[in-house]
Amino acid sequence: MVISKYSESKIGLYIHVPFCIRKCSYCDFFSVPLSSRELLEHYTQAVLAEIELRALNYSQKQIETIYIGGGTPSLLSCRQLEAILQTVYDEFSVAREAEISIEANPAILNVDDIRGFKNAGINRLSLGVQSFFDEDLKTLRRLHDSSDVMKTIEDLRSQGLDNFNIDLIYGIPGQSIDRWKKNLEIAVDCAPRHISIYLLQLSPNTPMAREIANGLIAPLDEEDEWLMYSQGIDYLQEHGFKHYEISNFCRPGFECRHNLIYWQAREYLGIGPGAASFLDACRFMNKPEMEEYFCSMEAGAACQVEELEHMSQRELLVDAIILGLRLCEGIDLEAFRTKFNVDINNEYSDIISSCHSSGVLEFENGRLRLTRKGYFLSNEVFRRFID
Amino acid sequence: MRERIRNFSIIAHIDHGKSTLADRLLQFTGALSDREMREQFLDKMELEREKGITIKLQPVRLNYRARDGRSYILNLIDTPGHVDFSYEVSRSLAACEGALLIVDASQGIEAQTLANVYMAMDLNLEIVGVVNKIDLPGAEPEVVKQEMEDVLGINKDEIISISAKLGIGIEDVLEAIVTRIPPPQGNENDPLQALIFDSYFDSYKGAISYIKVKSGKISKGKLIRMMSSSLEFEVSEVGVLSPYMTEVDMLKAGEVGYLAAGIKKVNDTKVGDTITEVGNPAEKPLPGYQEVKPMVFCGLYPLDNKDFEKLQDALNKLKLNDASLLYEPETSKALGFGFRCGFLGLLHMEVIRERLEREYDLNLLATAPSVVYKILLTDSREILVQNPTNWPETQKIERVMEPHVKAVVMVPDEYVGTVMELCQEKRGKYVGMEYLSPRRVMITYKLPLAEIIFDFFDALKSRTRGYASLDYELIGYEDSDLVKLDIMLNGEIVDALSCIVHKDKAYHRARVIVNRLRKIIPRQMYEVVIQAAMGSRVIARESIKAMRKDVLAKCYGGDVSRKKKLLKKQKEGKKRMKQIGQVEVPRDAFITVLSIEEEE
Repeated sequence: MVISKYSESKIGLYIHVPFCIRKCSYCDFFSVPLSSRELLEHYTQAVLAEIELRALNYSQKQIETIYIGGGTPSLLSCRQLEAILQTVYDEFSVAREAEISIEANPAILNVDDIRGFKNAGINRLSLGVQSFFDEDLKTLRRLHDSSDVMKTIEDLRSQGLDNFNIDLIYGIPGQSIDRWKKNLEIAVDCAPRHISIYLLQLSPNTPMAREIANGLIAPLDEEDEWLMYSQGIDYLQEHGFKHYEISNFCRPGFECRHNLIYWQAREYLGIGPGAASFLDACRFMNKPEMEEYFCSMEAGAACQVEELEHMSQRELLVDAIILGLRLCEGIDLEAFRTKFNVDINNEYSDIISSCHSSGVLEFENGRLRLTRKGYFLSNEVFRRFID
Repeated sequence: MRERIRNFSIIAHIDHGKSTLADRLLQFTGALSDREMREQFLDKMELEREKGITIKLQPVRLNYRARDGRSYILNLIDTPGHVDFSYEVSRSLAACEGALLIVDASQGIEAQTLANVYMAMDLNLEIVGVVNKIDLPGAEPEVVKQEMEDVLGINKDEIISISAKLGIGIEDVLEAIVTRIPPPQGNENDPLQALIFDSYFDSYKGAISYIKVKSGKISKGKLIRMMSSSLEFEVSEVGVLSPYMTEVDMLKAGEVGYLAAGIKKVNDTKVGDTITEVGNPAEKPLPGYQEVKPMVFCGLYPLDNKDFEKLQDALNKLKLNDASLLYEPETSKALGFGFRCGFLGLLHMEVIRERLEREYDLNLLATAPSVVYKILLTDSREILVQNPTNWPETQKIERVMEPHVKAVVMVPDEYVGTVMELCQEKRGKYVGMEYLSPRRVMITYKLPLAEIIFDFFDALKSRTRGYASLDYELIGYEDSDLVKLDIMLNGEIVDALSCIVHKDKAYHRARVIVNRLRKIIPRQMYEVVIQAAMGSRVIARESIKAMRKDVLAKCYGGDVSRKKKLLKKQKEGKKRMKQIGQVEVPRDAFITVLSIEEEE
């Protein structure tokens, strides 16, 4: 097997668990309804098979982070989770200090689950809170209510799983700036290590997008969305959180190492239907079809893959720029010169100077980064770099 | 031999079925097998077929065995049907002895048709009236025939009723051509006089001229002279189009065909010019030759500045084929390097631009079209200005003159008020009005050319629900009170958006332009201020609020490719934008400035 100049020895591992009890009104990720417990078991076996299969090709890579996402991965039983992680350990070399995260839904996470996850090796948990207010949760069609959230957070504390993240959504129809502010306050009071604040963005084929199109609910205006974002940055920074990516904040040293891999344009392997991988300058995705996946895995065959991009050096460079600029520290010009043999300042002087004069890009200590205004206009910047 | 030749043309308004009839004639006489038959064979350029119009004429020779048992050679000289190309029409007609006048049985005579019929009558052509589309439900052939008799003096009993679409009456038309149109005159023993009525460029044979031999004869090897330029060439090939190029030994007085003579540029074989033989020259050229002068100018700029040379190359190539296209390099502060191009009219401009984009893979930006103004300066020099950028400072101007046209509009009488209103808005001066039939009226106005080159025809069409037809001719320059309007984006004058307007309309136009730009310029990362100024005085202002949000809140492993694709697609959309200073302006903005119709 040919290992390109850009392939690395350390990678992230993503495991997709595409089941949900109910789909939220704003979600367009690949997930299927969980019709029975047997389905989960069946799926676990298929995942084990894929891990073994992938290890044949990539066992020389060291796993630095594991991220179990979804869907609703906390639907897995502790035993199933243990089996999955054990297989990863058996088939791959996993770094000693590996970050092992799981996403969880507060509605269906009890204290036993948390204890079990922890025993299985989970050391970071991301909680899909979205809002501490039932009005918002109803609009989002979340399964949980605000009391579930508080209960779950207590359980996390009691089990000593302090390294957890709270996801919040702003820009929800009907959400006032005041209520958003309260969300931030409550989130900070819960003492998580990490907070993500996401602008509500709907793809047209979600139920909520249709409700908006039909005039049943009204979206917030851009000015309010900007105020909420800006307020989020200010409030979280004042309370000791470091803003490190467009939508992500953490206590110093608690960046999500797995997600950093994405933004640093480093390599990762995805397991499960709909999961994407980036390896050896190629980005590909397992076909998002459950039946197909089950069949292949039972047959011991590789599942069907959609090659999303086979990337040239130039495309790798562009990716590294537009992903790297998502990080608040921006991109290190010297590091780019070394890795890609390109002087970004020179190569993109037109774009950089025009973005600089528009106040969306800035230089600091040999790094190029977005300004605060630039975060919220980042697509404008990225589009210019894309060929 | 000459007795058996008929040279004829077809005069018809766009859509009245000229090309369909031509196709039927080809089919009936067996010039084309059914298999070769494409719809509208004679309109050979892709663009012509798409727009359903004829731009370039192509002659074709038909062999017809008539009812008298004898066979005849019929040369059909197709003509373009648009006002931009009226000189070409006149030269085509000059090559004929007769013309078919086709009128739609449901529409009646149109202004453009009328102008061409008068042209044919002036050239003493025999006119054969034909009423087409008699199969349509709304057809009123008898009413239309009466109108043709009243307006044009064509005996209504001699008018032939046909449906070219269904093939009804085709043979009657062919018989009329044979019996009513006279054979060509001219003696083959006289010195050579051949009229060039079209030319095009062939990459193997050089410029090809379509000619009608008026007197004398022409064959391979003969040395010929172009009488307007005195350039001499040796004939390498003569032939006829039947309908494909077929070489013949000789073309004699009365015949129509093509000629190749190793001519490098189409410009050296000008439409309307007379060819004679060097060894035995004619005393005088044939009458009616004119240099074709462009009436409308605009700037053409590549959207990507790197394409300048590609554009130059493409223009050079198109020029080989189209002698009426003029261009010279110009520089705009806002748009970079480009060309100021001259065209016969707006359709011509549109066709050239589309051909450049389509055949040469260019992405172009066209500035608003302009006419040529004559300006008398205070130092009593007279200058011509075809680009608003070159407009002199007000204090240096003594007098401004602009080209005027006489415009003829034909319309059902219920639209008279509407048409007059439109002409009045466009600074028109009423000349006269005449009833063609109890319900159809011909209105004549004097109008500044600048007012009608842009969307006058569209406005006329839409306000009369498609019933009006228009023709115009240039009648000369007249004094006018004109000023230059500058448009500024974020304080910078965008030269390519400057335009010349009448002083009384300046405030209104300024507001309209500024308002329209506000609507079509997308929001940017900062506020954009749009101003219109007369001299140093700002007379209208609008602003576009800064865009606040354009972000993907979530971007993780699985999304990267998908989201990048989305960004790429959005970027494609932006390719139609031109970056001017810091502002991205859609390329349509430059044309929009002139548009008068309000969207509201």
